[in-house]
Amino acid sequence: MENIRLRKITAIWIVAVLVLFVAAITLGIIMRLNQAAIMKLSPAGFYENMTVHGLTMIGIWFVAGMAAVNFIMERYVKTSYSANLFAFIFTVIGVILLWVSAFVGKFHAGWTFLYPLPLRPLWDSWSIVLFLVSLSILGVGWLVWTVSLMAALLRKYSISQVFAWQHIGNKNPEIETPPFVLISMISLLGVLTSLIAAVVVLVLLFWEFFSNGTFSNDPLLMKNLTYYFGHTIANEMLYLGLAVIYELFAEISGRPKWKTTWYVAIAWNLTLFFVLAAFLHHMYMDFAQPQSLQLIGQFASYLASLPSAAVTVFSIIVAVYRTKIKWSMANLLFIIGTCGWIIGGVGALIDATISNNFVLHNTLWVPAHFHTYNAMGNVLFSLGFFYWFSVQYSKSEVTNKLQSLKIALLILGGIGFLAAFYIAGADSIPRRYSNYPAELAAGKSYALLGAVSAIIYLIAILMFFVNISRRCLSMLFAR
Amino acid sequence: MFKYAFCTLTLFLSCNLNLTLGQSQQDLREEENIYNQIFNAQLKLTDGKTTTIHGLAEREPLIIAFVFTRCSGLCSPYLLQLKESLRALSRDNSKPYNVLVLSFDPEDSLSDMSYMARQFDLLNDKKWLFAVTNNITSLNKSVGFHPVWNPAIKQFDHDALLVGVNSQGYICKKLFGIRSEKDISLLISSINNEYTPTYQLPSNTNLFSCFKYDPLTGKNKPGFGLLFIALPAILTIVILIGIRIWARPDKKLNSGVTS
Amino acid sequence: MQHSILIFFAILTLVIVGVFVYVYLSSVNANEESKGMKNALHKRGWFLLILVVVLAMFASITIPKSPYFAFANDTPAKVIHVAAGQFYFMMSYNAIDPKNPSSDPSIEVPVNQVVEFRVTSLDVNHNFGIYNDKNVLIAQTQAMPGYVNRLRYKFTTPGDYNIFCLEYCGSGHQVMRSSFTVK
Repeated sequence: MENIRLRKITAIWIVAVLVLFVAAITLGIIMRLNQAAIMKLSPAGFYENMTVHGLTMIGIWFVAGMAAVNFIMERYVKTSYSANLFAFIFTVIGVILLWVSAFVGKFHAGWTFLYPLPLRPLWDSWSIVLFLVSLSILGVGWLVWTVSLMAALLRKYSISQVFAWQHIGNKNPEIETPPFVLISMISLLGVLTSLIAAVVVLVLLFWEFFSNGTFSNDPLLMKNLTYYFGHTIANEMLYLGLAVIYELFAEISGRPKWKTTWYVAIAWNLTLFFVLAAFLHHMYMDFAQPQSLQLIGQFASYLASLPSAAVTVFSIIVAVYRTKIKWSMANLLFIIGTCGWIIGGVGALIDATISNNFVLHNTLWVPAHFHTYNAMGNVLFSLGFFYWFSVQYSKSEVTNKLQSLKIALLILGGIGFLAAFYIAGADSIPRRYSNYPAELAAGKSYALLGAVSAIIYLIAILMFFVNISRRCLSMLFAR
Repeated sequence: MFKYAFCTLTLFLSCNLNLTLGQSQQDLREEENIYNQIFNAQLKLTDGKTTTIHGLAEREPLIIAFVFTRCSGLCSPYLLQLKESLRALSRDNSKPYNVLVLSFDPEDSLSDMSYMARQFDLLNDKKWLFAVTNNITSLNKSVGFHPVWNPAIKQFDHDALLVGVNSQGYICKKLFGIRSEKDISLLISSINNEYTPTYQLPSNTNLFSCFKYDPLTGKNKPGFGLLFIALPAILTIVILIGIRIWARPDKKLNSGVTS
Repeated sequence: MQHSILIFFAILTLVIVGVFVYVYLSSVNANEESKGMKNALHKRGWFLLILVVVLAMFASITIPKSPYFAFANDTPAKVIHVAAGQFYFMMSYNAIDPKNPSSDPSIEVPVNQVVEFRVTSLDVNHNFGIYNDKNVLIAQTQAMPGYVNRLRYKFTTPGDYNIFCLEYCGSGHQVMRSSFTVK
């Protein structure tokens, strides 16, 4: 059913994501080498690098999930090619402007650009405008894409069907909602909410910027909105990856397709709700936030883990346990990614506990856990899809050479790189420090371990990159 | 979609919806001497008994008001306001306290103070105590109160000062000037050792605050800004329903959902 | 405390990896007749139940230890006012005037007594992170413009304590620091 145009644009997305991924990993390695005092960047240079690294990574793995979901969605409904292309063009323009605002305009407020930092005179005022414009362009492109995919689903399914409500309390409903449709819809809704939150933040920032001091924002409100957007989008992009796994894992393994059951339906509907309240755990150390919201933050974070662990992870284990499966690179990446996602989730739950957050907040424990479920979770979900896609739709032959080497390097690099973060976090080393003061000099050794391991991880990614993009490019230029 | 509505609702209900406007003024002198022990001055009460500040505070936490009876300015309105505020608060505030009205004028006698108490109709109110002391200089110093005698007008130049003392004899809060009920209530909470982890500084430029601190309950209440947090969720529901209405499914397609 | 958290995390990680490796190997060694997991739904229910109980226990143990409730009924022996700015901390025994900020040259804090830090910011978001003389982070609160956060803590060991900023605040973030002595 997938048409050629969709195949080509998906191939372009994949190549673009992988190119930017290699570039952004390199920025990350440079940051770790600078922290290890092996490279010498100016502090501002380091933070420009950090700003670009964060936003690029969030951006590419979000669009990777979207591109994969869009591609598979075509199996069920007709999606809009123009919206897909529109999003691609806007993403490219947005990313270029973003890099210019940071590397030429010296803008370095971090990817969360927490108010009121962006409005301080630490960089040229054109660069803050350019930065906000670049985010607006990305936001518009992604909003259009999200809404178009939602519309594609809603043209076929009613609201209660798209959320699989007919499966709750009914074992064999007349109309079945495929799990892929359910999870895509839940994720797209979350994405939509987070993008609207981003729009509100941008409007308030623009308003203050152009008001000449007559209007100023409330810092607590802005912080809540920032994490409403930031936390939610980082979380939802993982769920986009899970939608793909629900569709492809059984297929690639040569097993019967997964079906929506009552507990899958309940779990994902609950997830939608819990995930939207979990962002409150970013404000634990803001005593200005009402305590009731702090406690909601801890409960929502805990509760969000239940449906994912008891349903998604358990389903994958059930699907694999003592079952003969055709193991290939794609489903291996899926299962390793699931394992990484869970471990990152445990790290996140530990930090989402208020009394732990008191001594872990904004130490390297924070990047430790989110790199776990991104670099060893979400990235592998998308990489699994990329690999499957490139093999499925290109004519060039598949060689299984170096397969175990690639996986071994990926895991080895990943473990070293993440361990350096976790141990440093437990050792009270703060995050987002370009250089460490004498008291925290231990941070340098951790940074070096992190840099070396990240290079190993990068080697594995480069091998995937060459392999996958070669096939994707051949697909592009094939008739 | 109901989950969204529920989520929004929870955000609102987590603290009851009530906009409170108006902010107390921040006077930096109020931050001085906080959590110092107040000087344990000897007191002579209008009923003839003698005691000490610590002795009184041990019974009930104390609000100390500094006055002098010859005052032709601030003292009367300030005492009257305090009386009215406390009367209004007594309806919904059960926290214990006593008010000690203390003269800082060495010329004042016990009968002057009794006269004052009678004027304010407070002589027989058990919560109100009127007293004089011989240790006023040390006491003034320990609370950061600096009245200055102005011989030209035969009056003290002085601030209206309320000092809150907890039952351990520590200064927990100070209020300068004639203050609102809310501030008085915050004073009562703090002398009862109620801890609130934050307070907001006054600002006139913040149009949209997420929360307004409400001293009556010691909790933050949602402000206009919280609407902005609810906005994304509300808009999402609107868009979801909007798309569905706009993109009505074709019946033919609908029958083939299971494909 | 951080080290027990790390060990706890490491153990959980090993268990998770162990389960995944075991499940993977069971699939690799499976043959055509293998039937997969028996009573999967039943097991799923038990798994969920255990998870709920464990998380509920975890929540009930940890929530009372939240910093908002710490020393709530004590009268602090001392108040230290903190104003953070790009890129410095000002600490004073007296309130700090935002229009004309000034700090005390050195700050001493009594040992084994509750002290209260009243933390605010004069510009952007900062974070007041207290490190003990072994460079372990022991307490923190955010410094947000327009708000004063009250952090209460009881220091049990005398010594020199450092303050580092734990919220990214611009290019001088990593040099922002201060210190005080506990006696």
